[in-house]
Amino acid sequence: MKVVTVGTGMASAEFVQSLRLEGFDGPITMVGDEEFPPYSPCVIPFFLAGEPLETVYWKGANFYERYGVTARLGSPVVEVDTERRMVTSAAGTSESYDRLFYATGARSWYPNPEWLETRGVFGFKTLTDMVAIDRYLREHNVTRAVVFGGGFIGVDAALALWHRGLEITLVHRNTRLLSQMTDEDGGCFATDKLREKTGIDIRLKATVSGITANNGQLTGVGFSDGGSMEITLLIVAIGVSPNSEAMTGQDKGVVVSPQMLADPAVYCAGDVAITQHAVSGDDGIYATYPNAMAQARTAARHLVHGDGVYAGSINTNVLKKHIDFPIVSAGSFSGESVTWQKGDIWRRVYLKEGRINGYLIIGDTRMSGYIYQLYRSQKRVDMSIRAILSSPRHDGYYSEMLGVRGC
Amino acid sequence: MKKVFVDYKKCLACKACETACAIEHHPGHNLFGALGDTKTQINVRVLGVEHEAFPLSCRHCSPADCLDACPSGAITRDEESGAVLLNPDLCKACAMCAMVCPFDAIAFKETHRARYGRDVAYKCDLCNERIKAGGRPACVEACHSGALVYDDFDHIRGNRALSGLKHYLLGKDDKMPPLVELFRELRRKECQRRRGGE
Repeated sequence: MKVVTVGTGMASAEFVQSLRLEGFDGPITMVGDEEFPPYSPCVIPFFLAGEPLETVYWKGANFYERYGVTARLGSPVVEVDTERRMVTSAAGTSESYDRLFYATGARSWYPNPEWLETRGVFGFKTLTDMVAIDRYLREHNVTRAVVFGGGFIGVDAALALWHRGLEITLVHRNTRLLSQMTDEDGGCFATDKLREKTGIDIRLKATVSGITANNGQLTGVGFSDGGSMEITLLIVAIGVSPNSEAMTGQDKGVVVSPQMLADPAVYCAGDVAITQHAVSGDDGIYATYPNAMAQARTAARHLVHGDGVYAGSINTNVLKKHIDFPIVSAGSFSGESVTWQKGDIWRRVYLKEGRINGYLIIGDTRMSGYIYQLYRSQKRVDMSIRAILSSPRHDGYYSEMLGVRGC
Repeated sequence: MKKVFVDYKKCLACKACETACAIEHHPGHNLFGALGDTKTQINVRVLGVEHEAFPLSCRHCSPADCLDACPSGAITRDEESGAVLLNPDLCKACAMCAMVCPFDAIAFKETHRARYGRDVAYKCDLCNERIKAGGRPACVEACHSGALVYDDFDHIRGNRALSGLKHYLLGKDDKMPPLVELFRELRRKECQRRRGGE
C-alpha cells in the first residue's frame, strides 16, 4: 500500500511518524510546496527573533531520511482526483496513492494581494516568509516596522520583531488585540499590559489603508484613521484561510468523519480539517498543535489497525512568546462570569449550568492547567471556582485535588 | 516503572526536598552555589494546602498532556525510566505545556540550562541520570519523614494511564508515627489560630 501526504507540516509529519511507529513499512511520499523538512510554525518566529534555524525542525532536520519518505517538494498540490486516486501538483507532476493524508494547513489571507509585489511587504505564516524577512532585515538595516493585524499571528510577529530590536507599530481594526481569543475586558487588559511592557505602538480601530512605493520598494504606509508613516517593512497578518481548494474546490475547510476520513481513501487533519469540538460539539476548524497531533495519530491508527475514533477538538490556546506575559484562553465567552484580578494577573471563567463554558487566564500560567482539566471534564465548579481563582498563592485548587478541607 | 509517590500527611514542610533538588540541578552541585542564585532551578515545591503540606512536582503522567502539547519537540519521554524530560535547547517557553498540565508542575524562568538569554520551561526530570544509575531521585533521598516514596507504579496502582493526583498519593491507612501525629496536631491548631485571627 502506498501512502501519500499532501503537505509536509506538523500533522503530516506526526502522521508519518505514527505510521512507522505503528509498524507500517510501505512506501510513503510527502508532497509539499516549500523546500524544507517538516518545521514547527509555532517556533519559526523565534528564528526571526534571533534563535538558530535548526530548532524549527522539531522532529529533526533529517526527517525524510529517518522515516524512509520520498519527498516531492517545491510545488503545491492543486488537484486531488479521488476517482483515479491521484494528486497533481502545480508543476504538473502526478502521484498515485492508495491512501492519502490531506493536511495542507492554511495560508495568509491578504486584503490587497498586490501589495506583496512591493519589496518590503511580507506575510508571516511560513518558514519561507521568515527566511525572506530575515534576509530583508539584514540587507536593509531596518529599524522600524508596521505589523498590520493584531490577531495571534500579528501579535506574534510584532513581539518577534520587537525582541529583535525593531521599533514596532501594530495596527488592528478591533477595539483590542487578540480579539478572537479574548473577550472585551480581558482583551483590553492584555492590550494595555502588552503596550506597557513592550512599548509597542498599538493603533486600534484602524487599518493600513494604502502603501507607497518607489521603484517597487516600500517607502510608507497610510492609516485609515488618518496619518501616514515612512516605513520600509510592512508585515500583513490579518487572517488565514484553509488550503482546501484541491480537495473541495473551496477554501472553507474539509469535513471529516470521526475516523478523520474525508473520502474512503483520504484522511484529512490539521488546520484544514473541520472537526467537532469535544465540549461544545460545534463543528469548526480548531487550528492548534495538540488537535492536529491527535487527529494525525487517529488517522495513522485507523489506517494501520482499522479502529479508533477522534475524541474531538479543544479550542484552547496560549500566547506567550518573546515576553513572559502569557495569555491563555479556551471555550466560548458566554454565561455567568467570575473574574479575579490583581496586578498583572487577570482571570475570568464563564460558567454555564455550573460548568466551565470558557475561560481566560492572563499574566500567569499558574492554575491554567487545572482550569483546563475542569473545562475538559465538565465538572461542576460553581461552588469552588471563586476560591480557586482568588487563592493568594495561586495553588488553592490543591485542597480540592487532595480533598483537604479548611480546619 | 517507578514513580514518586506522596504521603502528604507525613510531610513536615521542612523543604529538604527543595534544597536537595536545587543542589542536584545546580551546575556547582553545592548549596552555597545554589543559594541566592536567581538561575537556580528547583523542580519540587512544598505547598501549604490548608493545614497540610504537599511536596509538588511533575507526576510524569502517561500519557502526558504536556508532551502531546509541546510544539517545539522539547518534551520527550525516556522509555526506559518513564521520565518525561524537557530539553531547554529546544524549548521556546510558549507555555503550551503549562496550559494543560493538571498539576502546575511546569514553571518558567531563565535557568542555568537556558541558552538564549530568556526564560525556559523547567520541571522535574525524575533525576533521570541518578535513577538510571540505580539511585533514587534527590528529593526522595532527602525526605526524612517518608512523605516522598520512589516505588513501582504498576505494582501499586495497576497499569492504568492516569493523570489524577489521587493515584500518586500513598498512606491512606498507614498509622502515623506518634511524633508526626503530634506535629500535625500542633500545625492544625496553629492554622486554626491564624485563621481565627484573620
